[in-house]
Amino acid sequence: MASSSKKKHEEEDVGEEEEEFEHFDDFTLASSWERFISEIEAVCRRWLSTGPKNLLEKGAVQLGEQKNLYKIKSELKYAMKNYCMEYYFEISNSGKAADWNWNATLHELQLSFGVKEFMVIAPQSASGVILDSPEASKLLSAVAIAFSNCSSLWPAFVPVHDPSRKAYIGIQNMGTVFTRRFEGDLISSQVPVKLMHLEGLYELFVSKFAFSSSDLSTHLFKVHFTMKLTYKTLPYDEDNEAAVLNSESDIITDNGGDNNNNNNNNININRNKLQWDDDCPWSEWYTAEDPVKCFELVAIWEEKMVESSMEMAEMENASIHEAQKWFIVPEFSSYLTDDYSGKLVGFASQLRLLIDALAMSLEVKFMEDFVSAETSGSDKLRSSAVIPPPTVLDRVLKDLCHDGSEVIPPEGRHRSSRLIKGAPLETLFAQFCLHSLWFGDCNIRAIAVLWIEFIREVRWYWEESQPLPRMPTNSTIDLSTCLVNQKLQMLAICIEKKRQQDGTSDNSSDTHSVEANEESLNPSSRGKEEGLVKERDSTSKRSGSAGVVKSMMLLKSHTNMHAPFTQDPPIMTEDMHEERLHAVEVLGDSFSFSGQLEKDILSSDMSAFKAANPDAIFEDFIRWHSPKDWEEEESCGPSKDKWPPEGRLSDRMSESGNSWRKIWNDSPPLPASQQKPFMDPNREGEKILHYLETVRPHQLLEQMVCTAFRAAIDTLNQTNFGGLDNMTTKIDQLYLTLASSLRPLQANKLLGDTEILQDIKRLCVIFQHVEKLLTLAASLHRKFLQAPRLSQTIFNDFRNSYLPKMGKGLVNKEEKKNQQVRVGVNERDVVTGMFVQPSANQSWRRVLSMGNLLNGHEPVFREIVFALRDRVDSSYHAPNEREIETHRMYICGTSNDLRVALSVTSCD
Amino acid sequence: MGSSSGQYDLSFKILLIGDSGVGKSSLLVSFISDSVEDLAPTIGVDFKIKQFTVGGKRLKLTIWDTAGQERFRTLTSSYYRGAQGIILVYDVTRRETFTNLLEIWAKEIDLYSTNQDCVKMLVGNKVDKDTERFVSREEGIDLAKELKCLFLECSARTRENVHQCFEELALKIMEVPSLLEEGSTVVKRNILKQKPEKQVGPTQGCCS
Ligand SMILES: Nc1nc2c(ncn2[C@@H]2O[C@H](COP(=O)(O)OP(=O)(O)OP(=O)(O)O)[C@@H](O)[C@H]2O)c(=O)[nH]1
Ligand SMILES: [Mg+2]
Repeated sequence: MASSSKKKHEEEDVGEEEEEFEHFDDFTLASSWERFISEIEAVCRRWLSTGPKNLLEKGAVQLGEQKNLYKIKSELKYAMKNYCMEYYFEISNSGKAADWNWNATLHELQLSFGVKEFMVIAPQSASGVILDSPEASKLLSAVAIAFSNCSSLWPAFVPVHDPSRKAYIGIQNMGTVFTRRFEGDLISSQVPVKLMHLEGLYELFVSKFAFSSSDLSTHLFKVHFTMKLTYKTLPYDEDNEAAVLNSESDIITDNGGDNNNNNNNNININRNKLQWDDDCPWSEWYTAEDPVKCFELVAIWEEKMVESSMEMAEMENASIHEAQKWFIVPEFSSYLTDDYSGKLVGFASQLRLLIDALAMSLEVKFMEDFVSAETSGSDKLRSSAVIPPPTVLDRVLKDLCHDGSEVIPPEGRHRSSRLIKGAPLETLFAQFCLHSLWFGDCNIRAIAVLWIEFIREVRWYWEESQPLPRMPTNSTIDLSTCLVNQKLQMLAICIEKKRQQDGTSDNSSDTHSVEANEESLNPSSRGKEEGLVKERDSTSKRSGSAGVVKSMMLLKSHTNMHAPFTQDPPIMTEDMHEERLHAVEVLGDSFSFSGQLEKDILSSDMSAFKAANPDAIFEDFIRWHSPKDWEEEESCGPSKDKWPPEGRLSDRMSESGNSWRKIWNDSPPLPASQQKPFMDPNREGEKILHYLETVRPHQLLEQMVCTAFRAAIDTLNQTNFGGLDNMTTKIDQLYLTLASSLRPLQANKLLGDTEILQDIKRLCVIFQHVEKLLTLAASLHRKFLQAPRLSQTIFNDFRNSYLPKMGKGLVNKEEKKNQQVRVGVNERDVVTGMFVQPSANQSWRRVLSMGNLLNGHEPVFREIVFALRDRVDSSYHAPNEREIETHRMYICGTSNDLRVALSVTSCD
Repeated sequence: MGSSSGQYDLSFKILLIGDSGVGKSSLLVSFISDSVEDLAPTIGVDFKIKQFTVGGKRLKLTIWDTAGQERFRTLTSSYYRGAQGIILVYDVTRRETFTNLLEIWAKEIDLYSTNQDCVKMLVGNKVDKDTERFVSREEGIDLAKELKCLFLECSARTRENVHQCFEELALKIMEVPSLLEEGSTVVKRNILKQKPEKQVGPTQGCCS
């Protein structure tokens, strides 16, 4: 003892060597040893009397991985050496010794020795102090004496050997005549074949209490056996037999290459290969790494009795379906749990780049300025910003102008999508924005090149009177969309009108079928084709009639009333509306204002009506245009045929000086076809192109940012994830957050306030979180199509542990422990289905040696507890026989390493 | 915009919608001036400005009165923009003006209103013609619940409840933070707006 202690000290602290030698003889003094023991005792008494709950206030800390375990420590000194005493305890008092409760995460000492609270005493070992066996047992006996002095029933452990072996010895005073001793160690290589098998392990356990080997065969020991096997599926990313995908590598494809829009590492993947997310909506733009790396399946055989080696050996053939409990544990890809990393490519990363581009656009006047060499701003910008080659540009433009977009039905759109002032996903501008995100690395120069070429293309459609791709012409202009989209919508309508004028339109034939009905103010029946109507009437003066209005006769002439073709109401984009409003506010005298445009429309209707009904009077027009302002006299049956009918204009219409009558008097009879049109498509179209060609870069980029966010979330929203509630709410929330956070951009306030940019950048972080969650939801959904409960539970567990940490730095490593999810009996087939038979050339395949195969997979980890129980007289004073666990052995390992821990209770 | 601009703390934009003849213009005139006159059907749109004090704040309301006539409807869409309050009016003596609120006007709001938080108010007009009433108060309340609106019945003719209608709406708007902010920034924004325009001004001149 003396020598070993001395040797240790030399290793540990050469500097104090001499001083130590002076006191060398002292260390055996009973007083020093005893002082050490009483010091331990004092600490122990203190902790005992304080009690677990109060210890929390005295500096006890929670252990990261084990939610319910706390520890408190105290430092001691003996023979110039520092020791650390640690007490581990739980707060909730279930009283039972720790067992494989399925959702409890146990400390390894709890697991190994079947204890609950415990104490560890060890040398302070910053420099890796190692205790050899005699030294360890001396330390342990000191603890044993101290504990029995204060009648503590805590098991105490002392580490032995190299820390990596995790070897311990321990002792526990059981409060009766019994003492429990503990011993645990690890074989980290070259596990004897015998110990790889259940039979050999069983015999190892039996050898601890059987006296001779012959005993083994003759005696039947009732050994209690519990087993937990862990299997692991093949990693999903390597699942498909193609070349191994190394998504972590940093290879960046040549920017000049044709694959240019895929130049980011994670999407640097051969497109021929089938990716897990190939049918996910985002795969048109990028490929996401599968967020689920693999699954572990944990199967637990609950306690059963084994009486012979034979029986034990049989267990290796037992089907996993015989295990009472199944759990699966997902292993997530690290990108899922790490915080924002620049490496991760998805919509969020590209949106971030687009915001950078927006920041650069603030100072520049025209998009051309980014392209032309002389004015392209700083050198930094020029050198760092790569413009993809013409081939790529051509491909993108072709794709953009390819009119293959399927129309998204209203129910396929998110109800909050409209709140983001962008453009609907399938429209031209939205697609342009999505392409920009992936064009080059979405730098402002690349965007400028793409925009200029794009607008050149749009002009071609205009000049050639070709219908604009991806732009419906049948609807009115949607003012909730961004201005560029409104302009394109209007341009599409102008082109359509131009084609009608030129007679190139396909649908200009069904003219004569237009039947006007009594209240025919339905805009759709208002003819666009007035010129084509032939004079069908004897009245040569009549022109521009769309047909007779049923059961309506003119008051004066008692002839049929004709509904006129009228001009389409003018269409306007929001800037035109704004201009009009502004003019109204400036010019309008607030007591007699009425919109001039509306007056023009009314006047145009009146002219058309007069032309179609040369004999009409004002009252006739009102009866047709505003029937409610014509009050028929309530009269009985026969008078119905009376002519003219009893009736009069409403009070408000018959006021003297009525503005309607004034306009009527001023409107000449003129069919709509000969009137000055409200809108000249040639002029309006040209104005729109002028806007598009000269739009301020920052105004364009603002709209691009809004539209790109909207198109990105709209794309993600189409993902099929089995309707996980939590995911749906996340998406709903994101829509609203986007709508409100992007609003400042629409107000054109950016020039004065660059803080807005910072806010929007933060939006990318939120977007990325949702994007990650959605990838997970989609991945889980497709893996558990037949067991939706499992995908739901795994997703919710992940979300609950991940959300609180969102945006708050890296997730603590220790807390990363993945949740176990219980597998129901009816879900077992889905889970076994995930264990595909490994093919012969799969390199991971080792020599199988442990048995209990599942579809050709052997467990990656096996844990066993053997226990022997005996009835013993447990007290001095009462003839009280009870069963105690005399021997317990915990074994865990693979075919490469083995850890064995033994607890033996005996009567001293 | 009136001589008294700057004499108020908050400025809101209110929109009046509903079928032709329900009395929108009459309501507005009855609120603005004390007269009760018969007005021609609105052609397109009309607006009036009213300043008054409520809840200790001096308010300026710009009230846009739209035409109920279908012919003008595509144009009226622009007046929904930026409105902080929308008043949906029906005529208690004409059932179809009530049903049209749900079938036409509420949809127009969904389509054109740019302001998610904007406050809506349902108003049943012409209660002075009680003998001809076709829509009960209870029905009105139910619809208001469905459309998430404030609710009032009033008469432009007798001027009963007319002031309450606009005041309550204004008070409710002032309770919504985002609207309150919009209402108070109008004045400031006009000053801010000048800046960028000035910067851009000269270049526009030489390039166009
Ligand atoms: N008895 C009664 N009549 C009313 C009341 N309010 C309006 N009126 C009458 O109803 C008719 C229509 O009123 P307006 O104010 O012109 O209706 P409006 O809603 O503005 O109609 P449009 O401008 O066409 O949309 C007029 O003749 C008014 O005198 C009311 O409270 N009681
Ligand atoms: Mg009116």
